Amino acid sequence: MGRANSLWPMTFGLACCAIEMMAAGASRFDLSRFGAEVFRPSPRQCDVMIVAGTISKKMFPAVKTLYDQMPEPKWVIAMGNCAISGGPFVFAGQYGIIEGADTFLPVDIYIPGCPPRPEALIEGILELEEKITGNRRWPRVESGLSQP
Amino acid sequence: MSSQPLSQNQEYFELNLGPQHPATHGVLRVKLLMDGEYIVDAEPVLGYIHRMHELMGENRSWAQYLPNMGRLDYLSALSYNLGYVELVEKMAGIEVPERAEYIRVITTEMNRISSHLLWFGAFVLDLGGFTPLLYAFDDREQILDLLESVTGSRLTYCYYLFGGCYNDVEDDFLSGCLAFIKRMRTRLPMYHNLVTKNVILRQRLEGVGPVSAEMCRKYGATGPVLRGSGIHYDLRKNEPYSIYPELDFDVPVYPEGDSMARFMVRMDEMEQSMRIIEQAIAKIPEGPVMAEKVPKMIKPAAGDYYHAVEAARGTFAIRAVSDGKNQAYRMKLRSPTFSNLSLFQEASRGMLLADGLAFMGSLDLVIPEIDR
Amino acid sequence: MNKENVIQELQALAAEGMAEQREEASAAPVAEPAGEEEAKPKKALPPEPRRNGVLEVEYAVRGVHLDVQIKGDQVVRAAQILDEAGMTLEAITGVDWMKDQELEVVYDYSYTGGPCFRVVVRARIPRHEPTIPTVSEVFAGANWHERETFDFFGIHFEGHPQLEYLLLPEDCDFHPLLKDFKGC
Repeated sequence: MGRANSLWPMTFGLACCAIEMMAAGASRFDLSRFGAEVFRPSPRQCDVMIVAGTISKKMFPAVKTLYDQMPEPKWVIAMGNCAISGGPFVFAGQYGIIEGADTFLPVDIYIPGCPPRPEALIEGILELEEKITGNRRWPRVESGLSQP
Repeated sequence: MSSQPLSQNQEYFELNLGPQHPATHGVLRVKLLMDGEYIVDAEPVLGYIHRMHELMGENRSWAQYLPNMGRLDYLSALSYNLGYVELVEKMAGIEVPERAEYIRVITTEMNRISSHLLWFGAFVLDLGGFTPLLYAFDDREQILDLLESVTGSRLTYCYYLFGGCYNDVEDDFLSGCLAFIKRMRTRLPMYHNLVTKNVILRQRLEGVGPVSAEMCRKYGATGPVLRGSGIHYDLRKNEPYSIYPELDFDVPVYPEGDSMARFMVRMDEMEQSMRIIEQAIAKIPEGPVMAEKVPKMIKPAAGDYYHAVEAARGTFAIRAVSDGKNQAYRMKLRSPTFSNLSLFQEASRGMLLADGLAFMGSLDLVIPEIDR
Repeated sequence: MNKENVIQELQALAAEGMAEQREEASAAPVAEPAGEEEAKPKKALPPEPRRNGVLEVEYAVRGVHLDVQIKGDQVVRAAQILDEAGMTLEAITGVDWMKDQELEVVYDYSYTGGPCFRVVVRARIPRHEPTIPTVSEVFAGANWHERETFDFFGIHFEGHPQLEYLLLPEDCDFHPLLKDFKGC
């Protein structure tokens, strides 16, 4: 799967996480070191949808349409707590948001954080590469914390 | 070049911009009625990122609501933190130590610069210039590093508490701020040379999207939009809060009212914010950063309270109605870009679509703050 | 801007409404003196709904200088008075006073042309028939604020050019900030 070396994400920001997604693509973190900097504004040219932010009920049909418009094979990254589970905006009696992208999309990678750091997004993309190809292109960074 | 007469016998067509469109900076949707390349009517459709902040204000305690402030306008989150903690301090009668006030002003102004830098990069990107974004993000990352060292987060800060700040700042932070300012003083002239003086940029902005002072008043527009229309109005001067009265700074005002004026207001505000930070660092006293007696349960007297601060985009105000309980009875958040965007429909009539987008960029929109 | 004039005009306006109120309920006492709201002891239970009138409130505590309560059908004239004084409409919102069976519409005005001066205008309307005239003819910016208030409280602004859902989806059928809203 050669495309794993250069995933094309969609230019698709919903909320706060989109700023960290921009930061990941900009000068310091420079996502292009990992081949994933070609953000496409059109879903028809994308490999991976990064759901970066809260999905409101009003936005939900648009997100679904965008995913449906992407050509196969396609992957989904849920970036941030809102896209994972609704995050801080879940409470009894909430009327406005979808509680997690995985309620209607097949999510491949979850990146926790509110918002996740750009490094976390990069790591998420590397994980996705590993999921596609079965081997990891870049050495894993050890956390330094002892594992339980 | 922006207001050509519309021909009467041509057919109009509808165009849908957004809710997923890179130029709308998020999930704004604009229903456009077009006459060729000219906008006949542009109706913004909101609510695609409505996150129930006001309802959340009613079902959690005053302290539990603090993290929401970082997620309203995530680009200048500390201004929103500041507005909210000052409101609750006013309601509960909590005194804030002087050092904490200085730290608040220094961090808020750093955040304002980072917000304007992101706007600068994204705005020039809207106009077709990609490179300035990379420069602006480079500077912005310096600020985020500094703020991260004291607040613990990069974007959605929750740093101020009722009665002070979460933790004290180190001297490293203060010297880092001064080093950043020194560096930024060399960067701003470069931006002016490369971007502001660029003839393409000037032709895209000058005379585009004129907004009169009267129109601002009718729509309640504030912040750089109002100051770009010649009105000297900045809450840090007009309704002083925190320690701003002790600091010497100017309010940049440009009378033209076009996109270029709003551009220049924000560019000049970065310089003024740096002046504020320098003075605050020179004056910052020693002492505690938290008030000694802050009640665990805040129960303000019943009634309603209003507090407004100058966020990076204009007047951010909160109207809180208390019924004497540990949570608000009603929490109204008045966000600046909601009002600033509301004039778009009227102001964009007869514009070229490309100019309309330049005009929209000059309003500096943050959609989650509009939709709340 | 002449503050004194504005205060006098608003007082006259509120007095008109009060006269009508007195006719309606002949035994109603005279208007409360200014500043009484602050003087109330903290634990006064339950506080009576405020009578219409103009209060000069303590700015350092409340964040506004003038607190005006008028009848629902007078809000347009209040807006005209404040518009002529060169003031800006900052926000419109609602408050649901369910135990009084009333909704309150709150208009926040500020002055951008000089020293800070903030006026809040409020009007109470019955909860079962929430109708109030629109001020969008006077302040164009009120258009969106009123639509938002309609979203959240279902308050019907008479004469509004486009009273549709603004923040909520077009097809929704609830008003989430009413106190008896139970989620959906």
